[in-house]
Amino acid sequence: MNQHGFILWWDRLLAMTLKELKQLIRDPVLLLIISYFFTVDVYMAGSGINLNLRNASVMVIDHDHSAASRELIYRFRQPYFDFKGEIFDTKTAESLLDQGRILAVLDIPENFQRHLLQGQATAVQFQVDSANTVLGTLATSYATEITAGFSQDFVAKRLGLGAEQMASLPIIQNRYRVLYNPNQIDGWFMSISELLTVTTMLAMMLPAAAAVREKERGTIEQLAVSPLSSLQILLPKVISMGLVILLGVAVSLFMIIIPVFDLPVKGSLGLFFTVTGLYVFTASGIGLFVATISRSLAQVTMLVILLMMPILLLSGAWTPPEAMPQVMRWAMKISPLYYFNEMSYAILLKGAGVKILWDSLLGLALLGAVFFNFGVWRFRRQFG
Amino acid sequence: MGEAALVNENPVIDIRGLRKSYKKKLAVDGVALTVKQGEIYGLIGPDGAGKSSLMKAIAGVLSFEQGSLTVFEVNIDSEAAAEKVKGRLGFMPQGLGLNLYGDLSVEENIDFFAQLRQVSLQQLSERKEKLLTMTRLDKFRDRPMKNLSGGMKQKLGLVCTLIHNPELVILDEPTTGVDPVSRRDFWAILAELLREQGTTALVSTAYMDEAARFHRLSLMYNGQVLADGEPDAICQQAQGCMVELTSESQTEALGKLKSHYPQLEAIGTKIRVFVDNLALDEAASTVSGHLDGLQIKSIKAFDAELEDAFIALLRQGPLAPKTGKDESIPRFDKTLPDDKAIAIEARQLCKDFDQFRSVDKISFKVRQGEIFGLLGANGAGKTTAIKMLTGILPPSDGEGQVAGADMRNAAQAIKERIGYMSQAFSLYLDLTVIENIHLYASIYGVSRSILKQRLDWVIQIAGLEEVTAQLAGSLPMGVRQRLALGCALVHQPGVLFLDEPTSGVDPIGRRHFWEILMHLANVEQVAILVTTHYMSEAEHCDHLALMYAGRVIADDTPGNMIQALQDEAGQLLNITTDQPLQALALFEKSDFKGVALFGRHIHLLAQDRDTAEKKIRELLDKESIKLLNLSADAPSLEDVFVYRVLALENQEPE
Repeated sequence: MNQHGFILWWDRLLAMTLKELKQLIRDPVLLLIISYFFTVDVYMAGSGINLNLRNASVMVIDHDHSAASRELIYRFRQPYFDFKGEIFDTKTAESLLDQGRILAVLDIPENFQRHLLQGQATAVQFQVDSANTVLGTLATSYATEITAGFSQDFVAKRLGLGAEQMASLPIIQNRYRVLYNPNQIDGWFMSISELLTVTTMLAMMLPAAAAVREKERGTIEQLAVSPLSSLQILLPKVISMGLVILLGVAVSLFMIIIPVFDLPVKGSLGLFFTVTGLYVFTASGIGLFVATISRSLAQVTMLVILLMMPILLLSGAWTPPEAMPQVMRWAMKISPLYYFNEMSYAILLKGAGVKILWDSLLGLALLGAVFFNFGVWRFRRQFG
Repeated sequence: MGEAALVNENPVIDIRGLRKSYKKKLAVDGVALTVKQGEIYGLIGPDGAGKSSLMKAIAGVLSFEQGSLTVFEVNIDSEAAAEKVKGRLGFMPQGLGLNLYGDLSVEENIDFFAQLRQVSLQQLSERKEKLLTMTRLDKFRDRPMKNLSGGMKQKLGLVCTLIHNPELVILDEPTTGVDPVSRRDFWAILAELLREQGTTALVSTAYMDEAARFHRLSLMYNGQVLADGEPDAICQQAQGCMVELTSESQTEALGKLKSHYPQLEAIGTKIRVFVDNLALDEAASTVSGHLDGLQIKSIKAFDAELEDAFIALLRQGPLAPKTGKDESIPRFDKTLPDDKAIAIEARQLCKDFDQFRSVDKISFKVRQGEIFGLLGANGAGKTTAIKMLTGILPPSDGEGQVAGADMRNAAQAIKERIGYMSQAFSLYLDLTVIENIHLYASIYGVSRSILKQRLDWVIQIAGLEEVTAQLAGSLPMGVRQRLALGCALVHQPGVLFLDEPTSGVDPIGRRHFWEILMHLANVEQVAILVTTHYMSEAEHCDHLALMYAGRVIADDTPGNMIQALQDEAGQLLNITTDQPLQALALFEKSDFKGVALFGRHIHLLAQDRDTAEKKIRELLDKESIKLLNLSADAPSLEDVFVYRVLALENQEPE
């Protein structure tokens, strides 16, 4: 390619990129949707979704009505549990659980205090609605901890041990140090996770929509007879939409996640945006492939939703790879969001750099090259 | 009125002072019309004239602000009133097969519409068989609608509209985008069905040459009725007549006449002018008076056809020509290769899709400065041929050259040297006029040093000065098409491909468009390949190729094509009787060729006028039908097209 040809090539790319941006700016609905995802949606995910047990409603059937039972009940309190009152028979308890009005029922047997005072073992029953396994598991483990704590204190008191004597007992204390998110703020994890999900969806959707819109309106025909190559037609869509997404990510990070959830950015923002750019390029390759097999915007939307599901499941955000079956673990290696997830948390929360992340970076770049080339190849075959 | 035998005097539709506006835009502006029972009433006018709004109001699916509308003597002033008459009418909206379901078969579509209208099973099967036979769709009853050709889709649309035996059918542009043969077929079927049932029809069209199909019509423009009545009467409302002449230097003659006659066009070697306010005999002599010094080879004056009359009416009325504006078309800033060089050449080009041969060994040549028309029914292979020549689609066999580059291995070079305008408007509706032009200038690599100058040139040649900052989506059809042409010309190509560039554009817009094309061919020596369904446009071409089933079946100048048909099949006889439909049936049974009904007139082709006339009189006398008029004329290009295609269709066993 001579110099003139080179300049012409870039001029065409530039003209097409500006065209895409102008078209986007004139589409208020799309702009609104993009802004919504990067602001309101990320905020809601960060502030609304809670992975801890919070205000779980619990009711009690107290057959004992003793000082001990009252003390145990008193320990089921906010912020984890919300004591909703007393009921008197198991039937009511079951029906309330069935209706989903309460999450758990604590059943304290008769002679609870007497048995304890007599030095006999006793038991309480804790019925949990585990339809939502996460909540159920959490409630059970918190309840176990509360009961164990109560029992330990009761025993200590029974033996007449004061605080000093307690320290001399052979009790193992589990002291943990929480790294990277010392206060275990869900907002950090959730908002970043949502940002990555939104980025994935828009990175597939926007270039695909821009490409399929040309098909729908027939403008693709005019481009096909022009001296533009397939790459010159497609790359501007990826570049322009990529820029918009990077801008959205910046807005989300600097206007929502950092100020609202007080996220301390540990690593290099430059590296984070580089990785995001690479990721957008990869995901848009998938989007371009979607555009070649769709005839309308509606089909693009359906296909993107279809693809989002496995991409999210295989991202490692909800389940670490070690916990997955072997086949899924292999599949995760071709899920771009897996790499993006790993790198984003590592950069933002742990302050990791290229030295640590080079293998993920390489994996993402390879996937990007494959997906993007595949998308362009499909397109060329269609409109050669 | 002559149609008394056919038409009962009760008005089926009676409209007075109807107004409808969308936001601030007035769509229908005080329209009045009456349609009588058994009539085929036409609404003719360009895109945006208000035809569709008017039809929707009559069909009871659109409310209006002012005026009165009576259908079957029910005053449509509320939705409840509209519901009362809905069962008695059928409405077919605009767009090829838009009201049908693409994935359903022909028969399933019909059944669906019948169920919707609660037609009893027995009636359904009777009517379905009859309608399918008449429309010759019975062979395709299991084919999904989306796989039908444009003409067949419209016939199916008609069947679905007629399945509940409505007393009034409202058809919105049923023939737009349909080729002349299918169009003629559609009209014949419609006429026959209406005659059998005594149904009334309100039909709109953008094709002026279909006006003769109507008993009466309204010419619409800008929401208003410009003129109404019988077709002949409307032509006479335009004051003046047409003069057609050939002289020694066409360009010079055009220059001399231009200042005197605003309505002027060059067709092949001929010049046609509309002379305002003069009778036939005076008109010819006045025109020749303006051509002082130039030798006139032939000159004749005749009454205007509807298209010319329509433009004259507009000019004399709402669209008075802008004076004082210099209409000169700007020149290219570069010169194209020497003239008469071959610009496009196809040699034995073929294209196969799976088992199906879409283009079958076509060959033709187009020289610089020539306008070449590619005609053919929908699906004849025109678009595929263009796609191969423009380098989008590789040919299966054969070879060709475009703008000096070989299409087999230099597709990129071809793409850089040609301009292309596709069937549908394919520019960006959400960009402004100037942004679209700028984008294409960048794509075609117009260098920055001359960019500004070139943008101005495009705006000027396409006449877009007043709309540069508007979004392309807000422009009317005619202007959009000029913008598309401007974008195709942005790199001043030597070869131009236009695929149905004027589909749906009004006559004035089309005329303006063709003026630019003629200029490009004559002055700049651009080679132009164009496809069209408007036969009046085909006359502008220097030479034509007629395609049928992927083959070129005729390739000649328009004049020679007409001459060849005349030599082969004879002259066109225009017959008027007092019972046109019965007469039509008689002629169809006898061995006359090219028999077709045009409103109340019948056209047929006859080798020898005298023998034919004798035979016609005999036939009519036997049935005591009165012959009112019989005149002979040269066949039109549409007659050529229909005759040639039908001859081949009849050969095929199918």
